[in-house]
Formats: sequence, structure tokens, C-alpha cells
Amino acid sequence: MSVSLRSVPPPASAPRSPVRLQGDPGRPLTTSRGMSRMARQGLALLLIVWFALPLVPLVLWGLAEQWSFPARLPTEWGLGGVSSALAAGGAEAFARSLTLGLTVATIATPLGAVAARGLVNGWAPMPRTLTALLFSPLLIPAFVAALGTNILLLRAHVPPVMGLVLVLVAMAVPYTAFVLRTAYAAHDVGYEEEARTLGASRRRVLWQVHIPLLTPALARAAFLAFLVGWSDYIVTVFVGGGQVVTLPLVTASAASGVGNDAVVAVLSLAAILPPVVLLAVLANSRWRTEGAV
Amino acid sequence: MTTAITLQAVSKEFKRHPVPALRGIDLDILPGTRTALLGPSGSGKSTILRIIAGLEDPSGGQVLIDGRDVTGVLPERRGVGMVFQRSLLFPHLSVLDNVAFPLRAAGASRRAARAAAVPYLDLVQLPDYADRNVASLSGGQQQRVAIARTLAARPTVLLLDEPFSALDPDLRADMHGLLAELRTELPPTIVMVTHDRDEAAAVADRIAVVESGVVLQHDTVERIYSRPSCQAVARLMGGRNAVLGVVSGAVHSSDLGQVAVPESAPEGPGVLVVRHESVQLLGRGAAAAHPGEVYTGTVAQVTRNGARRSVTLSRGNAAIEADVPPGVDVSEGSTVVFSFVDGAPSVVPIEAHAAPGQS
Repeated sequence: MSVSLRSVPPPASAPRSPVRLQGDPGRPLTTSRGMSRMARQGLALLLIVWFALPLVPLVLWGLAEQWSFPARLPTEWGLGGVSSALAAGGAEAFARSLTLGLTVATIATPLGAVAARGLVNGWAPMPRTLTALLFSPLLIPAFVAALGTNILLLRAHVPPVMGLVLVLVAMAVPYTAFVLRTAYAAHDVGYEEEARTLGASRRRVLWQVHIPLLTPALARAAFLAFLVGWSDYIVTVFVGGGQVVTLPLVTASAASGVGNDAVVAVLSLAAILPPVVLLAVLANSRWRTEGAV
Repeated sequence: MTTAITLQAVSKEFKRHPVPALRGIDLDILPGTRTALLGPSGSGKSTILRIIAGLEDPSGGQVLIDGRDVTGVLPERRGVGMVFQRSLLFPHLSVLDNVAFPLRAAGASRRAARAAAVPYLDLVQLPDYADRNVASLSGGQQQRVAIARTLAARPTVLLLDEPFSALDPDLRADMHGLLAELRTELPPTIVMVTHDRDEAAAVADRIAVVESGVVLQHDTVERIYSRPSCQAVARLMGGRNAVLGVVSGAVHSSDLGQVAVPESAPEGPGVLVVRHESVQLLGRGAAAAHPGEVYTGTVAQVTRNGARRSVTLSRGNAAIEADVPPGVDVSEGSTVVFSFVDGAPSVVPIEAHAAPGQS
């Protein structure tokens, strides 16, 4: 292939002109000015304090062997709360909750994607009715839904664990569908059509074009679905039938007793950990899909 | 190897759209030709391209590529490459990986695909951009990468769906130059959709004029301009002159006078069409010495369009537009003498005045 073409400027960034025209601020518009930067940093600090403040007593309680009124700080420090939480089955419950959250996210995210794509592209029959049905779990109080579905699942002889996952997935799908419906409304199918004309099969288009382009939205949807499974209490109690002892159940059990403040604090802190870690990962991910979704 | 494309009675109806997008299209795209599908927005030209690519299924009719019926064949198995109006570069891949994508799709390893993609980037003069994020490229550079990516798929037919319409005029001219220079590397059969007749003439050697889901005329660029099949084609190609009259013995008679037309012009009522570039304004001395037929008209209007001027000449009920050459002075109300370039006038049927798409 020896074709000579006219030259194209090299990719090096153009030097900034020393001459400043009228109205030229002399720096990119995205560069913050001193005052606005300070205001933004101050607001961020306030927000951090706002969210972190409730956690301070939990951390203190978690490290307290003894904390009697009216002392402002624990009178005796130690890791007794951690030992007691482990003894109460906190680690196993943590693992069960994690598994439940991940399972719900794994099922509810693709289901939400299919529902969202069907609604956006007009494939779905009776879209308004389907939307109402899809979002109905959000309208019905969890207590009512759990009681009602529990009776149905028992009559249908559905094992409690499977029933629990089914109900939690139904509760998570509205969130995933909502997040992904917005993403699909902005998604350009032209990318997929282009990939097909480039010789990619449907499967390759799904894995190498569709999913990568929708990764940010899929991650957000999966995060919400994970939270539904991770933090549920009512459905786990009713539908799980005591077979699935998750972190919220162990925490609630400890909280209902007297003198378990340190254990409750440790379990509560453990409950915060995965969502915070996931949120941090999501916030710091640099998706290269701007303009596509 | 050159590839022919044939559309036989292809129709297309979309749900919830009462008007069919295509109405029994018959189109033979000859092997090795560069054909422009030209028409206004909503005429169905992009639908034709999408049906050839396999991105839309026709409601009726057949699509043949090299004589093989490909109706219903998946897009990835047609060997047809397509460049869209937007570059549609995958934002999660680097420039090089975008160009390597079709090679990966064909089964090459990542390393082999990248190595094979490099020459295509060289081809569009962007070898230094391989590791760039596609979002950092300008519109023209993105379209260059899109062309390189499509070429890397080694298609037998290249479809271009208004690929340069989003670019500014200078960049568009650059891209036309690029296509011309890449001629040896491009697949021999090219079909391009455009609503810009200048672009069609610059890139293609044949033009199919489409309006309201019907191909009005498919011919060489020269003949589409000089011998439109109907008034709609003449108008779409920028023709401004249409004079109603009667043809008898290869002469068209109207208020304008008697104008010699091709022998093939049917006898009876017909519309004289002649491009404004083919109307020559003659000075008094030149008129006397002009060997051919000359006509007189009154200047009804002088219009300035940038550095160019055009004039509307009237005589009776007939009106003719002409370009005014530099240095010629015309003023409204004056009488001028003019003639037509030999062989330029032609006649189209009066039925062409009816609603477009009825031919």
C-alpha cells in the first residue's frame, strides 16, 4: 500500500498564543478560579462531615470495652465488640449477605437491561402496562409484598432460598430497569450496526461493543440491585424462613438485646463497608464511553 | 474483482408510517462503478443503503450481490462495508484497536490484528494517532479512522451514508480528495448517499436520483445533468429552467421561440429544460455573428449570489434563468440577446409536473 497523501498536522498539542484577544480569560474555561475552588472544597468538606458524623459514635462504640454515661469517650478501649460480633456469626452472615447481594445484582441487572431495552426500542407489547407492572414493587410496601408472596411461594413449594432471591430480584428490577432505561434512551444503536457491517457476529457485538458502551450504566444498575439484596431485612425474615441468616438479621437480633452496643456498632460498620467500597470503585472508574451513552 | 448490486422490486414499509419508504425499486449498480444515491431528506436513499447492507429487511423484493440473493443474509456475512454520517468509532477502544476491530472479528489474535491494522492507519495518514483515545480526534480525523476501519474489513462493496455531511466545506473537500487518492485501495463498487449534488458529482461516476421512495433516473453524472428524465430530476440537479411548449420535428415551440431539441424528444406537448449554465448572454456584436439560433428577452430580475450573478429573462409567458459572465453589464428592464449551448436543451414530459414519485 504505497499511497501518498497530503500531510496531516502532527498530534502534538498546539502552543498557546501569547497574544490575548479581548474576552480571552487567558486559561481554559475549566480551570477553577481561586474563590470558586475554595467554595467547592469547603462544600465537599461539609458533605464529608455530614455523612461521616453519624459514623463517629459507631467507630467509638466498636472500639469500646466500656462506655458509661456521662463520659464523652469510651472509658475502656478494646476489640471485644469485634470478637463478640464474630462469635455471633457476623462473618458468616457477612458472607451470606454478600452472596445474596451479588446474586440479586447478577440476575436483576440483565433482566433490567432486557426490560429497559424492550421499553425504549418499542419491542415490548403494551409498554405502559408493562412499565406499571415493572415498577409496582416500588409502590407496594415491602411488608405487604413479603407476606403476600410468602404465601404464594409456600403453596408453590418453592424452596425458601430460591423464593428469597426471586422476591429480591423482583424488588431490584425496577431500579435496574429505571437506570438502564435512561441509558438505553441515550444509547446509539449505530455502533452495533457499524460493528455488524465490520463482520462482527451478534455475540461479539454484545460482548465487545454493547456491554462496554453500557458499562457505566450497568455498573450503576448492578450497584443498586446489590444494595437491595445486601440491605434487605423484611423479605429475608418472611420468605427466607430463618434459613438465610444475613447481616441485617444478625445486626437486628443483636440490637434487640441489651448491652450489645459494641457488637451492633461493629456489625453496622461491617454493613457499610461493601457499599462504600463499591461506590468508591464506581466513582473512580474512568469509563472511555463518553458520547456513546 | 468487481461486484454488482441489483435491487429487484424492493419495497419497504415501516410500522406506524402510512407512506411506504420505498416503492418497488429496481436498480442495477454496475460492477466497479461509484454510484451516488441523490435525493432530498426522507426520499428513501438511506433506506436503500441500509437494505443493501442488511441492516433493514425489505418488505418485498430481492437484493442480489454479484447475482447471489442476499435478502435475509446477516449484515456480517454480506461482505459489505459501511461508513456512516457519524464516524461511530468505539469510544472504549483506541484508534488502532478500532481499525483492528474487523480483523479481530474475522478471528485474528489481538497482536496480529493490531499489526495488520497499522497499514490502514498509514493509508489515511494517521500513523501517529494509533494509541490515541478516539475522543481526542477532530471530526475529519475521526472520519479518516472510520474509513480506515471499514477498509480493514476488506469489503467487496463500500457503502457511504452521507459520510462527510457533518464536516465543514474545507474538510469535506479534503475527504473527497482522500477518496480519490485511495481509489486503488477502495473496493471497486461504491454506493454513496448524499443530498449534495456537487458531492455526488465529485465522488461518483453515476447518479441515481431518488424521490419519495422511487428511483427517478439512474445514469452517468453528465447525462443526469444534461438529459434529465423528468422535471423532478432537473429540479433536484439544480436546474432552474422549465418552459412549457409543443415539440414538432425535433423543435420545441413556446413563447420563448423555436428551440432545437434532440431527435428523440417525443412529439406533442413537452417541457423544455436547459441548465442556466448553458444559457449564453450575447453582446450586440456577438449576437449578429453568432452562428446558431438567438433569442431575445427582457431582464426581469438580477440576483447576486456571492461573486456570481444570475439573471431572469422573460418573453411572453416564458422565463429563463442564466448565469451572468463577469464583465457583462445587465440591468432590470433591458433587453438582451441570448442563445443556448449546442445540444444543451432537452424535453421532459409534462406529466413530470405531477407529484414526485409517480414516474
